[in-house]
Amino acid sequence: MRTRGVLADLHNHSCLSPCASLEMSPSLLARRARERGIEVLGLTDHNGALNCPAFAEACRREGIVPVFGLEACSLEEVHVLCLFGSAAAALAFGERLLGSLPRLPYDPEKLGDEVVVDADEGVLDLPDYYLGAALELGFDELCLAASGSGALVVPAHVDRPMFSVSSQLGFLPPGPYAAVEAMRDPDPSLRGGFAVVSGSDAHVPEHVGRRAFEVELDPEALAAGRSGGGAEFLAALGAALRKGAVLPSWARAGTAAGSPRAPGAA
Amino acid sequence: MKISELGTEQGFRSLQSDYADRGLGGGYTSDLLSDVMANAKSEGVLVTIQAHKNTVAVASLIGIAAIVICNGRPVPDDMIEAARAEGVAVFHTDKSQFEVSGLLWPALGAGTEGAAPRA
Ligand SMILES: [Zn+2]
Ligand SMILES: [Zn+2]
Repeated sequence: MRTRGVLADLHNHSCLSPCASLEMSPSLLARRARERGIEVLGLTDHNGALNCPAFAEACRREGIVPVFGLEACSLEEVHVLCLFGSAAAALAFGERLLGSLPRLPYDPEKLGDEVVVDADEGVLDLPDYYLGAALELGFDELCLAASGSGALVVPAHVDRPMFSVSSQLGFLPPGPYAAVEAMRDPDPSLRGGFAVVSGSDAHVPEHVGRRAFEVELDPEALAAGRSGGGAEFLAALGAALRKGAVLPSWARAGTAAGSPRAPGAA
Repeated sequence: MKISELGTEQGFRSLQSDYADRGLGGGYTSDLLSDVMANAKSEGVLVTIQAHKNTVAVASLIGIAAIVICNGRPVPDDMIEAARAEGVAVFHTDKSQFEVSGLLWPALGAGTEGAAPRA
């Protein structure tokens, strides 16, 4: 099957994340992503997936392939993207993580609002616990739990000076990763031989798409992802990542956006 | 102060005793292994809550002699196994990093004071 290069951005926050802008609804995220040519879009709120149902509908309206995820924070304070093929799978994993979330005193005034919305920006719920805390779950255990639940596991911003494998753990431990995410071309000790993707880590609408990456995907898998076949799409995305069929943002600089990747290019 | 005295004198629980007992040369307190890699000294003790096998890898890279895991943080088995393989002593305590650093300062502070961080 002939593949084509598509723009993907797997790391984005919505108004469920206490540190994200309140206007960052799943529908605005999807709209901005479509405007910026992104075809595969991930929602990864901190330690929670409660906005994934709204995100599913928002992506359907925009014709975008959704990836349902969350950005878990391990005991060591390492951020990990856990990406699923359906809102239900992401919600179930989020529910499981709640058992490991310490109930710290949470003051939305000081720490930021956490808002569960529908696809029309109607407020559904305001969780009364703080999602920004570190889970009582070690990094290795967390990665195994996520991959055991069918997630693609991607250590987030591995080269960031905070909340990353480099800052907290010095280098990347072996693990069941589909890829690693970095902000710039990372040191080999942080890639561990895995494919490197970039991610926008958007917390405000202006940042959507700022570090999108290009990935080679089968048009049939994309069609499946657009029409509810999320599990099939996730498998294809995982295979493309493991094959290294990606161009992170720094490698895309100078190439035309959306242009197919040259065969055999690293 | 010798490594074994972290157990016999300070009362920290020894989790891994396959190491060559010898005098400690100072110490460093940090939970960020990137910071430990940049600033800890060899032959010292590392006071931390970062209970992960990478802590052992960083310790053996630098030549840190002993690790004290604070605040009663659970220590994964693979960390203890790695420490045994590398001959790095591992101790465990319910005390905080602040308390442990204070307890060790009288014996080890002189080895730390004025020491320039490694480049
Ligand atoms: Zn993060
Ligand atoms: Zn993030």
